[in-house]
Amino acid sequence: MDSVISLENVGKVYRNGGVDTPALSSINLKIGKGDFASIMGPSGSGKSTLLHIIGALDKPSSGKVIIDGKEVSKLKEPEIAKLRGEKIGFVFQFFNLYPTLTALENVELPMVIAGKEKKERVKRAKELLEMVGLKEKANSFPSQLSGGQKQRVAIARALANNPLFVLADEPTGNLDSKSGKDIIDILENLNKKEGKTVVIITHDQSIASHSKHIIRIEDGRIVGGAK
Amino acid sequence: MRIEDIFRMSLNTILSRKLRSGLTILGIVMGVAAVIALVSIGQGLQESVNQQLSSLGGNLVLITPGSERATQGFGFAGGFGGQNSKTLTDSDLRIIKIIPGILYATGVVSGSVSLEYNSQKSESRAQGVEPGVWELVQSVDLESGRFLSKSDPNGVVIGNRVAHSLFKKEVGINSQIKINNKIFHVVGILKSTGGFIGGSGDNSVIISKTSADDINLVSSGEKDSYSTIYVKTTEGSDTETVSGYIQDRLRSNHHVSEQNQDFTINTSKTIQARVGTIIGTITLFLGGIAAISLFVGGVGIANTMFTSVMERTKEIGVLKSLGMANSDILRMILVESALLGLMGGAIGVFFGTLASSIISSIGGISPAAGPLAGRAVGTYVSLEMVLFALLFSVCVGAVSGLFPARRAANLQPVEALRYE
Repeated sequence: MDSVISLENVGKVYRNGGVDTPALSSINLKIGKGDFASIMGPSGSGKSTLLHIIGALDKPSSGKVIIDGKEVSKLKEPEIAKLRGEKIGFVFQFFNLYPTLTALENVELPMVIAGKEKKERVKRAKELLEMVGLKEKANSFPSQLSGGQKQRVAIARALANNPLFVLADEPTGNLDSKSGKDIIDILENLNKKEGKTVVIITHDQSIASHSKHIIRIEDGRIVGGAK
Repeated sequence: MRIEDIFRMSLNTILSRKLRSGLTILGIVMGVAAVIALVSIGQGLQESVNQQLSSLGGNLVLITPGSERATQGFGFAGGFGGQNSKTLTDSDLRIIKIIPGILYATGVVSGSVSLEYNSQKSESRAQGVEPGVWELVQSVDLESGRFLSKSDPNGVVIGNRVAHSLFKKEVGINSQIKINNKIFHVVGILKSTGGFIGGSGDNSVIISKTSADDINLVSSGEKDSYSTIYVKTTEGSDTETVSGYIQDRLRSNHHVSEQNQDFTINTSKTIQARVGTIIGTITLFLGGIAAISLFVGGVGIANTMFTSVMERTKEIGVLKSLGMANSDILRMILVESALLGLMGGAIGVFFGTLASSIISSIGGISPAAGPLAGRAVGTYVSLEMVLFALLFSVCVGAVSGLFPARRAANLQPVEALRYE
């Protein structure tokens, strides 16, 4: 299996007031194309740091991060931005939708940033909203949507530029169990039917049970599941 | 990212925070409105002076008694009413008349007179002029009647205000009016000149030099002296050169040098330049005061943009996670602050123009008194000024946004996303 994400001996140390706090050490990890991986660990284990590094939002203090065959630390800022925009689809725990834009416009946003044509954007955004079952909510603002609906819009937004993988950070952490299950179903379908690579960070065992590949992390080290 | 999309996003942000955007641009609105209104007063003044001067004609030379230094640089003090110093005489006039390039030269005496019409008394200024020549030199038009002729020694041409508003009863053509207790017949009424230049104001009366002597317009010892000599140069000659000749001849006739010169020569060009300088200084001063409020407006925008960037830290983090490059973030914030500046500028121009026309209509500078009566000349808002104000507001906005925009662009995505 081709690897979409590859971490080689990655370490992360936070320096604060001359004190070094290690967050991750010696992480070796490969996530292949079409994988459905869960990264699990208790809070403070370093899973959020790992998510940021996989998502090219943060740089490791040591080691290599290779996404789609490119070593992230060797890329310049605009190239990293492009990588985030076109290869990675983020889904956040708190949705992070743009409050002044409609659902449709929120889904369009990554395509706006990527410089795509209006016509193409609207067409794709409508298809994606239909896919997550929110066709009729296209013109609603985030404040008019329920938590589950917001997260579905966020998933549609994550898929806008047809990314290489979807990176979800506790996607059900802020939802009731029914909505949470809907979200996991959507992500699972995406993986099964379209072969989309999905990486979920969670501490919820029931979500992890849906995944093909569970990576457990404790005290900044992988304690099981890495390939 | 496409530039039109950056504009759309910036506009969306501004419009989604209407109250804050409105309060932010208030400073710019007031600043621009103040600049427009105040500068328009200066420009209106300049415009009106220029038009009055051009109505005098470009080939006019005015010689007045007294040195320029004595009048503290204003130079045309003689034109305001004259100094009864005995320095311009018949002999000066004769010398001037033979200088080449001169079409007409005529001396005018002026002084205060008492008027009486229909048993009502008033004070005015009178000018004793040379009939047949004065009207050729002075570019003043008649509202009705005719100019003085040599054959009517008791004729008088009256200024517009004297005819229409000085007395309770209108003074018409052929009316009899007493000047220093001597009866004169009104032969003509001048058009309104608004003139504070050249002394031919709407409040004065014009009589022949001979009559002026009869009514003792000037004291008997000064009878052969003039309060102003008007010279009109020929079409082809250069007025400045001719005024130089006049200066040389008069200096030698008066046995004076540049240091103790006892007369002042002005051409419409020099008057225009001097008035222009004075008005320019006033305009700059007024505009400068107003510009301070524009500066304060800019600080207001900077302040709001800073707060806005702080508040939107997380939003900026999300935009970065969605692939927005630092340069696009920078442009988005800059466009947003420049748009705020532009909106403030546009609204400011509107209110400034409104204020300017209100000032004009309530007659702060009495637009109705000029030769441009009926046309609003009290204030003048030029297209250049409007464009400058808009451009300046955009720049103020953009400069104010520069620092906050850089801050937003340089936010680390992970820090920004963590921000609560």
